[in-house]
Amino acid sequence: MLSMKNISKVFQTDLVETHALRDFNLEVQEGEFVAVTGPSGSGKTTFLNIAGLLEGFTHGDYFLDGVNISNLNDNKSATIRNEKIGFIFQGFNLIPDLNLAENVEVPLRYRGFNAAERKRRVQHALEQVGLAARMKHLPSQLSGGQQQRVAIARALAGEPRFLLADEPTGNLDSMMARQVMELLENINKAGTTIIMVTHDAELARRAQRNIQIVDGQVCDFTMYQGGARQQGMGTKADKPHLVTDADKPSDESEQAQTEQAAS
Amino acid sequence: MLQIKPILSTLMRNKSGPILLLIQIILSVAIVANASFIISERLTLMDRESGTAEEQVFDFRLYSFDKNIDLESQIQRDIRAIRDLPGVIDASTTSMVPLSGGGWSSGYTVGSSEETAKDTENTAVYYGDEHMINTLGVELIEGRNFYEEEVLTGSPDLATHGIVSKAFAKATWGDDTAIGKTMYAGDFGNMPIKVVGVVDKLQGAWVNSDSLDNSVILNIKLVNVFTKVLVRAEVGTLAQLKQEITTTLLKDNRNRVVERFTLISEHRKRVYRNHELMATVLSMMVILLLLITSLGLAGMVMFNIERRTKQIGTRRALGAKKRDIISFFLVENYIICVVGGVIGGLVAVQLGQQLMSVYSLPKLELIYPIATVAGLIVLTTIAVILPARKAANISPAIATRSV
Repeated sequence: MLSMKNISKVFQTDLVETHALRDFNLEVQEGEFVAVTGPSGSGKTTFLNIAGLLEGFTHGDYFLDGVNISNLNDNKSATIRNEKIGFIFQGFNLIPDLNLAENVEVPLRYRGFNAAERKRRVQHALEQVGLAARMKHLPSQLSGGQQQRVAIARALAGEPRFLLADEPTGNLDSMMARQVMELLENINKAGTTIIMVTHDAELARRAQRNIQIVDGQVCDFTMYQGGARQQGMGTKADKPHLVTDADKPSDESEQAQTEQAAS
Repeated sequence: MLQIKPILSTLMRNKSGPILLLIQIILSVAIVANASFIISERLTLMDRESGTAEEQVFDFRLYSFDKNIDLESQIQRDIRAIRDLPGVIDASTTSMVPLSGGGWSSGYTVGSSEETAKDTENTAVYYGDEHMINTLGVELIEGRNFYEEEVLTGSPDLATHGIVSKAFAKATWGDDTAIGKTMYAGDFGNMPIKVVGVVDKLQGAWVNSDSLDNSVILNIKLVNVFTKVLVRAEVGTLAQLKQEITTTLLKDNRNRVVERFTLISEHRKRVYRNHELMATVLSMMVILLLLITSLGLAGMVMFNIERRTKQIGTRRALGAKKRDIISFFLVENYIICVVGGVIGGLVAVQLGQQLMSVYSLPKLELIYPIATVAGLIVLTTIAVILPARKAANISPAIATRSV
């Protein structure tokens, strides 16, 4: 699903060269829920931006859903973002002048769906997050948790292959955070791959896999399966092993096992 | 892709900025449309041809204060001497000079009987000899010039033959030929003047007159202590001829004043000075208004880009291509521009009607507000496209930053 090999990202000014990511390797399989943690400035956001095609990288190879991302032009990147990726931002990033339905509709318009299809998808997405009755409300009329649910609906409306969540509960109180997390878990159970950047260790533990980034590299990975915990260190993509989930459909298990065998 | 509905939603929820811009556009369209119309009217007036060789023909005034001379023979001698000067094409005495702002005008009576007699439109009246047509450089298109023996010397009442301008002929006799027709300087039957020729164009002296193109040349050489002389010469010889004519005439008789040498093209500049001034002032006003409107549009777009930086990044993150961002700002401003243009166009028509009734201006032609709005759309595109391109270059990564 997502494969990063030796990704480096260097920010260069006249005087300073900053390595935001160095030889970064990661494999994420379809249907996974991966939490990415790490201290401030470790490169989490840079990783998320590169994963979401929001910015480019200096070296390495990145394959998303089988597509080599390395040399995509701006238009193709925008198309992939629109069709394959759903974004959930810490600050919700709703457009304040548009009502909920119009906000959810934004990526669908860029996709070129006709009005009837947009309406159907908006309705469905808002129903999924329990806000269909408030679709004419403005974001300012909602609580933070509700706004984040709208943002999730916006991310879901395009039926993306995977969701990238940047501190999705960072601006929410604990109860709201729990609700949003439950929503993300349900979305993941429905088959959508999720990569979530978070500071919250408790939320991170609820993901299937934790990746810790330190100084622009994967330095620690932890896997959870039914309460059991495995831990390891490494920077190579092949070091973290995918733990097959007993709850997953059998075809996914088979696929994962096949990939494991291949490695 | 066009996103008119959400853009309208955005505009409706942030009214103050767009409304101010809308008011600016409405006023600009109303003023620019009317100002452009007035400028165009003035330029059209200024562009009218007099029918004469304006760069070749000049006039001067000759004042004889010697009471012991035979004025008629003196003038004949003077004109002959002028015609003999190198560079001079022809010369003639005249009662008036085209576009000079002063001269003679009259109406005549025409008709085949007293019962059917009617007055002609008012017309400028030139008194001159058989050299006048060539001196003015006007084109004879029908009939003939005066014969030398037809030209009389003395009072205007003696006129027997006339050459009329095409405009006067058309206004008086319609499509019928003017040649051979008789017009009367007095009532029907009194002081008949036979039309022998028609010139293509000859304007009178008063540029604000409705009948500027109506002119009549009558076969009279006026004899007066004040004599106006028309001279046609090679272009660029005025300065030299001014000196030579003065020297030649004073050599013959020193008891007179030779003054006011003026090309017809100089008369034109002087009589149209106010029109030119108004056209210039209005043009500057139009340019200034359009500049202010453009700056307003560009300023509004730049302000919106600053205000919506994160939103633009978010849109890019959600799949907007660069062209989507540019079209977003273009459509947003086109909406304001078109709404403002339509209202401004209606205000322009209303303003035009007020100007028409108060200042007797012609009715505003609809093409002017339409052209103004079209021009404004072009201006909007130019004013918006540069900042919008800048907006399109905002990185989608800004969506994940806490700015």
